[in-house]
Amino acid sequence: MNTIDPRIHQVLDGELPAEALPEELRRVAAQIAAAADLLAAPPAQAGASLESRVMARIRRPPPSRVRRMLDWLVTPHALVLRFRPAWSLALVVLVAALTLFSVGDDGPELGEREGIAQFVGRFPGARSVHVLGSFNDWRPGSIALEDQDHDGVWRATIVLPEGTYEYMFVVDGERWVPDHLAERLVADDFGRENSVVIVRAARR
Amino acid sequence: MKLWVVLALLAGPLAAQSVRSRLEGRVPNSVIPTIDSLVQSAAQEGLPTEPLIQKAIEGGAKHIEGPRIVAAVQVSLGQLRGARDLLVRAGDAPPVQPAEVTTVAWALRRGLPTAVVERVAAALPRPPRSPALHAVADLVAHRFEPDSAATLIIDAVQAGVPQDRLLDVSTATLHEVQRGRNRFEALATVRQLLPNVPAPAKPAHGAVAGARRPAPTPP
Repeated sequence: MNTIDPRIHQVLDGELPAEALPEELRRVAAQIAAAADLLAAPPAQAGASLESRVMARIRRPPPSRVRRMLDWLVTPHALVLRFRPAWSLALVVLVAALTLFSVGDDGPELGEREGIAQFVGRFPGARSVHVLGSFNDWRPGSIALEDQDHDGVWRATIVLPEGTYEYMFVVDGERWVPDHLAERLVADDFGRENSVVIVRAARR
Repeated sequence: MKLWVVLALLAGPLAAQSVRSRLEGRVPNSVIPTIDSLVQSAAQEGLPTEPLIQKAIEGGAKHIEGPRIVAAVQVSLGQLRGARDLLVRAGDAPPVQPAEVTTVAWALRRGLPTAVVERVAAALPRPPRSPALHAVADLVAHRFEPDSAATLIIDAVQAGVPQDRLLDVSTATLHEVQRGRNRFEALATVRQLLPNVPAPAKPAHGAVAGARRPAPTPP
């Protein structure tokens, strides 16, 4: 750290006229005096600038909702995670149980002597299609086929005891139609033909 | 002993009541007594009654006139009697099992020649013959010559193919036709495989998952 000549202190304090100093010291004393004046001056310009910036910010229209959303998305946020081990373990067990139950949803449990019969028929424009047969005592309305994608193809998948059954489709509650996709047809003794399905016990 | 006598005396009227209650509301009331008497005749002869009741209910569901329903039930009763006689000719000692009578009657309805059914029944002295007759009927429905079809199935039984795999024999034969063989070649190919036959395909997961049980039918 440089030390200041004591004569400069005397000049700055007004105890000695500046002309009494040698030329080199007189220049240093003038620089120090100028610096002191600058520090002593009030910061009028800086205050005005801050005020104008704050007011300009206040008068600016608020940002849109989208803008605020984008700002929120790109702004880093602190995430504080607190957990209790007991609750966390319970949550894990619950999720595992739900997952197992959803995976195990394989449809109805088939008995030892039960199988699957699939009924499919193409009936464009039909309002309803049912299948009636010896498996449901030819009872109207008990097994409805569905056309979920409205393409005119009606389907039903039914669990039945193994055996041989005769059946027909009933379209719109009144039109009896044999299943022409069935490989087996047999005369029904009423002048029409029944379709035949053989249900075999499903091998699992 | 007295209890058995009482039960036996009650069994007939109770069965009749059961048949009438199943027919009521399902067939025209005017023909219920006639159909009931046909069913009771079948029961007294040791024949299965369910096919007759089913035929009557089927006719009612299809809105067939009463006299035609009675005629169809009479035809069915005649078929059951014919099936029973065939089984006796094939070597079954009377009274023949009602389930076997139903199977044979059904095979005859599907168009199997009487001689072929009798031959299969005689070649398979132990019931159930249902899988064998279904397998033969399957092949005949696909224009296989009845005698050749029966021979293949009888060969399969004698080669040790279990009863519940006989339909796999007919299925394997049909697959050979789909692969381009003529019917004679298909029968020969499958016969060479015996007693091994391809296992049937398992039902697809989606099919089982989407399956439902029919709503129970009220008594």
